[in-house]
Amino acid sequence: MNIVSHFLQQCAKSPEKWAFVEAEQYISYQQFQARVAKIATYLQQQSAQGCCIAIALERGINAASCIYGILSAGAIYLPLDIKNPAPRLNFIINDAQPKYIIGLGTAPHWLKANEKWLDLTDILHTTADFHLSDVSASALAAILYTSGSTGTPKGVALSHSALLNFCHWAQQTFHIDATARLASLTPFHFDLSIFDLFTSLAAGASVYFIPAPLTLAPSRLSTWLSDQQITVWYTVPSILSFLALKGSLHDTPLPKLKQLLFAGEVFPSAQLITLTNLLPQTELYNLYGPTETNVCCYWRIERAQLTTTQNIPIGKPACQANLSINPETQELLVNSPSNFSGYWQAGKLHALQTSDYPTGDKVSRNAQGEYCYHGRLDRMLKCSGYRVEPAEIEHNINQLTGIAACAVVGIKDKTSGQRPVAAVVLKPGADLATSIKPLRQQLAAYMQPCQFITLANLPVLSNGKTDYQAIQSLFNKP
Amino acid sequence: MKQKIRTFIFDELIFVAEPDSFSDDADLLEAGLDSMGIMRLIMFIEEQFGVTLPDAEIDPDNVKSFNALEQWILGHQK
Repeated sequence: MNIVSHFLQQCAKSPEKWAFVEAEQYISYQQFQARVAKIATYLQQQSAQGCCIAIALERGINAASCIYGILSAGAIYLPLDIKNPAPRLNFIINDAQPKYIIGLGTAPHWLKANEKWLDLTDILHTTADFHLSDVSASALAAILYTSGSTGTPKGVALSHSALLNFCHWAQQTFHIDATARLASLTPFHFDLSIFDLFTSLAAGASVYFIPAPLTLAPSRLSTWLSDQQITVWYTVPSILSFLALKGSLHDTPLPKLKQLLFAGEVFPSAQLITLTNLLPQTELYNLYGPTETNVCCYWRIERAQLTTTQNIPIGKPACQANLSINPETQELLVNSPSNFSGYWQAGKLHALQTSDYPTGDKVSRNAQGEYCYHGRLDRMLKCSGYRVEPAEIEHNINQLTGIAACAVVGIKDKTSGQRPVAAVVLKPGADLATSIKPLRQQLAAYMQPCQFITLANLPVLSNGKTDYQAIQSLFNKP
Repeated sequence: MKQKIRTFIFDELIFVAEPDSFSDDADLLEAGLDSMGIMRLIMFIEEQFGVTLPDAEIDPDNVKSFNALEQWILGHQK
């Protein structure tokens, strides 16, 4: 079944209801469908079924229209993070080989493949002849690029049935119905946005896009949440910590906010306790799962169980996932109907050979049988809610002319998550500042190392591999 | 004051290849100062300079550059 079909049912039921609100722009289910129909018709005329279509737009009504239009035509949406540096964007486009890249106006200067560019304004001037394209359950719906351990980004391919399974679970678990008002902050290339985009409209609810500057103005964010009468918000702990500590929630209580869901990184307990005290009427949930599995575990926050010394559990299986633990490594393995179909590489799907996805996360079960998270088995970092592979940063640093070798590790951020730091070995005659200057153009802001040290040689283990623990300890010195 | 803030931001929060040539009007948000960074920066400023910066005034306009930060802090120093 096409994931768009639930939206069409809601559209028939309540065409006048607001689907999306972005600043002063209100768009009803019917108006949204009219835009979706034009995009879908255009793509159907170009025989785009099964093709990947990239979207180069900011989060908002335009991008959401493209996503629904692409899916309605049986094509696969690929949301680009247009804040990424040009080399990373072009890498993703070369790797994904989309049939088209949809944006607004003329092709941006960073785009090498500008013959694939489509201007959304032109498409919206065409006439629609709408029918929903049938898709098989295993048909792909989305490709979300994340940081890759091989040094380059990789595309996680998700099917219609995987998205439907998550949406159904979320709708049931959080009782999302037509009275819900969702706040949406997550960019569409993040998996958290699947909730904002699909669970919402499948339930007949309305989505309110949080204006971007409010993420840096926590008091105004509280006021906005109150004024818009938001009932549900799924976001990352870092923004909630900011809201808890600096959001004037004492003066702006949020009695309408029924549920607050968070995922993406560990929520520091002290800040979580502050937040729960400020939001006495809100149910909070810790959701867990990498992009490859979507949410596979969840825990409803039990206020009485919170202590500053212990992290909260990730809880019990979600989305009908079968969870198991590798007895030797304690790695969490996930077999879920929401699991991804495989990685998208060089323009096609590389299907998975196994149904158990190894998360790379070390877990255990507590006395209540709930799963608890104990960190990574590999080097992956969580920076500002983004998943970052140190190998991708190293790959970029190693290409700089003045650098002979480098190693990237994470240091704990004092408020939430981690930050990358780098140890580098310079080539003779090179100086650090000049050598690393081009990085600003090559790495996204959240991937920029916040500290550099220079070494004569990288420390190695007896087997010749880089000793990351030794490097880590160089940064942990006071 | 500005020098102390510069040192804190460049050592702890964001990395720029040549901090000395980063002007007092250059955009810190563009350079990667994010919500977590702002939170740590405010805690640092309040502790270092004995000021209280009202939550309601935390805003991109007040933290966008070293000059903006200085103006903001001076407005609250007794």
